Amino acid sequence: MAGKQDSPNSDLLNSFSFKSLKLKTKQQELLIRVSILGLVYILAFIARLFSVLRYESMIHEFDPYFNYRTTLFLTEKGFYEFWNWFDSESWYPLGRIIGGTLYPGLMVTAALLYWTLRFLRFFVHIREVCVLTAPFFASNTTIVAYFFGKEIWDTGAGLVAAALIAICPGYISRSVAGSYDNEAVAIFALLLTFYLFVKAVNTGSLAWALGSAFGYFYMVSAWGGYVFIINLVPLYVLVLLITGRYSMRLYVAYNCMYILGMLLAMQIRFVGFQHVQSGEHMGAMGVFLLMQVFYFLDWVKYQLNDTKLFQTFLKITVTSAVLVGGIALGVGTASGYISPWTGRFYSLLDPTYAKDHIPIIASVSEHQPTAWSSFMFDYHILLFLFPAGLYFCFKRLSDATIFIVMYGLTSLYFAGVMVRLILVATPAVCLISAIAVSATVKNLTSLLRTKQKVPQAGSTKGAGSSKSSSKVSLDQSQPFQKNGAIALLVGVFYLLSRYAIHCTWVTSEAYSSPSIVLAARGAHGNRIIFDDYREAYYWLRQNTPTDAKIMSWWDYGYQITAMGNRTVIVDNNTWNNTHIATVGRAMSSYEDEAYDIMRSLDVNYVLVVFGGVTGYSSDDINKFLWMVRIGGGVYPVIKEPDYLVNGEFRVDKGASPKMLNCLMYKLCYYRFGELVTEYGKPSGYDRARGVEIGNKDIKLEHLEEAYTTSNWIVRIYRVKPPTNRL
Amino acid sequence: MAPRSDSQTLATGSGAGSDTTSESSMDPIFQILRIVPFSFLRPPRLRLKLPSFTLPSPMTVFSMILLTYFLVVSGFVYDVIVEPPGIGSTQDPITGAIRPVVFMSGRVNGQYIIEGLSSGFMFVLGGIGIIMLDLALDKNRAKSVKASYATAGISSIVIAYVMSMLFIRIKIPGYLH
Repeated sequence: MAGKQDSPNSDLLNSFSFKSLKLKTKQQELLIRVSILGLVYILAFIARLFSVLRYESMIHEFDPYFNYRTTLFLTEKGFYEFWNWFDSESWYPLGRIIGGTLYPGLMVTAALLYWTLRFLRFFVHIREVCVLTAPFFASNTTIVAYFFGKEIWDTGAGLVAAALIAICPGYISRSVAGSYDNEAVAIFALLLTFYLFVKAVNTGSLAWALGSAFGYFYMVSAWGGYVFIINLVPLYVLVLLITGRYSMRLYVAYNCMYILGMLLAMQIRFVGFQHVQSGEHMGAMGVFLLMQVFYFLDWVKYQLNDTKLFQTFLKITVTSAVLVGGIALGVGTASGYISPWTGRFYSLLDPTYAKDHIPIIASVSEHQPTAWSSFMFDYHILLFLFPAGLYFCFKRLSDATIFIVMYGLTSLYFAGVMVRLILVATPAVCLISAIAVSATVKNLTSLLRTKQKVPQAGSTKGAGSSKSSSKVSLDQSQPFQKNGAIALLVGVFYLLSRYAIHCTWVTSEAYSSPSIVLAARGAHGNRIIFDDYREAYYWLRQNTPTDAKIMSWWDYGYQITAMGNRTVIVDNNTWNNTHIATVGRAMSSYEDEAYDIMRSLDVNYVLVVFGGVTGYSSDDINKFLWMVRIGGGVYPVIKEPDYLVNGEFRVDKGASPKMLNCLMYKLCYYRFGELVTEYGKPSGYDRARGVEIGNKDIKLEHLEEAYTTSNWIVRIYRVKPPTNRL
Repeated sequence: MAPRSDSQTLATGSGAGSDTTSESSMDPIFQILRIVPFSFLRPPRLRLKLPSFTLPSPMTVFSMILLTYFLVVSGFVYDVIVEPPGIGSTQDPITGAIRPVVFMSGRVNGQYIIEGLSSGFMFVLGGIGIIMLDLALDKNRAKSVKASYATAGISSIVIAYVMSMLFIRIKIPGYLH
């Protein structure tokens, strides 16, 4: 494009702007890619901000409050105090060694961000940093997904993967702003480790393997789900060995990652020596030894020139290696040095285990198996694209595609066993779906692009040129095919836009509620906010003595310590089943026995959650049967059939007498019999259960009511000291 | 690498030991076995062959994986653990007749068996539709076969998408409102 030099100024300007805008194709492509990635980065961040805009910048749920409290402690007291912290404010009177029983990755990350911002003279509050950590790391995950997609397939797949994972509800559910939980950082670390490992296997470079070891260290420091990595990677190596893809690159990558990763992981106190002692980590060690055997046999084969000798040697070596490995495993397991699989992970392999043996694990709603609608809710179109993507991966098998297929299948199976693990499967599903989208769109656009070439038999340039000879014969159907391809591309665009609409709707309606603040629609359609939890916790903070001990069900422990700043008996860590069972027994006994238990635990206040006035269904009466089961698991005096009538759990007149007089019933329904909750219904109508309660005249002997929040959701009772003997 | 050659050498080892001389074998275990039981025991002449271990083709593996995917996505594990009925029932309040209810309403994470299986089938159908579209764009087939693949693929995708949207609208009444 020649610039004419007629009038120097304006034309120079014209030609300058034209010339500078006319980029080469490679630069155009780079510009498009960078701008897409930038937009996806911003999109991933802002899609998660619904609850901050609707309510306020606060921490959601239960577990994040513990993480927030520890991060606050870290920023105030420094790292060494944090690492050696013994907390006497929870699990009274046992206390908890916090430094040795948590995964510090999340707290250290948030503290580093906080200190960086302070260094740059942005004096933000640590709470804001905590709230926004998850969206920030979600944006980073999209970038890693782009590079991962590029590694597995090509840049187009990487871009689609980044876009899909930015708004996928399966990931958003645990990484909204305010959800300050381990998974916020852990999914980023997981994908980073996998990407670096696949890169190491593809290139065979020691540097990438070292990177993957450090990525693994970050993952171990962030989440207990690192066990998935330490079992998936050896399984992948095993599959590669079986399919005959052993190579030096694989050897270098796996050895470096395993050894260095294991050594680094032992730096976390909570993990300790589990990598050599726990049954869940033995698979990795076994595959490590198998790799050494493979390398040794390869070297011997190279040295020997005699195949018959080598075959004999092969037989002996393999037999002896398997024997020695088996004996070592047997001795280790029998002597107790290698501990068996813990209940949490064993229930993934045998899903019926938790239901029969460990009620605490079975009671968590996130641990239930997954129904089809949860999959649809969290994945939408990706459920169609996933099998298609698998097909494309199988068409073009390579080391990297084998990895993503294995990751996708194993994580999808585990997601089927436990709803919470849909989160772990999300990156794999997004990546494989991106492969399907990219391959399909590539096919369709190559159909389109061949039409632009005049069909000459000899032309060999341009895309899809191998079709040019066949195009001569298909001359009549060209416009039809071109229209068909355009129609299909419009269809693909339509499906992806429906996906985006679905994701936005799901994020806005289902996954952006803080759980600590409840919202409901009033009679006139206006929104009513119930802030009862925080009201109760602040009442505790301001109106009870500083050394007061609060007894409540374990769900609320973290929130009480973080916001109420008081000592609790049990909290969400659930590390001591007997202690929780003691509390469960107290809640389900008659008031006199419960009073003895409460005196033995030094309890000053009891806190219960009651949803009968508002219709809130996640209250303690609905959780009551779990208290009975867990208590009955340790104390056989508590029997579940005592509280049921014909196998049914009732609170109305037909309820069992033990139910009508147990402590939980009394505390929840004290003075409730006088309250009219709904127009046209008798007094004492429980809106959450939909029945009129059976025992309205409740008298408390050893407790007295201390505080009930404005919507009766949280009720606090004071334990009276024993009466003086006369 | 190891298992395949292992089975072959075992096969050749037993074959070699029965007819040719076994002084050429350097395997000590084989030599010990030759002396201890088999110097006075005569092994019978069998026509058995050790099963040879060949890896299945990628597409065979893919079809098995598709089946597993169908089971997982239909909520098979949920069915095994929670044991919901195959189809729910509700009693008509006026006439008293029992009417079947296909979709468990009220919760996102609950299902009856039949609804899970039908939804899983729709998802797999959509996936197969996309696969058939890709097969239709393959160059080495006759034009009529390509056209039929294309129509089958497009109709599968459309049916699967429409049905899945219908199912989710029935299940979650407030969907997209």
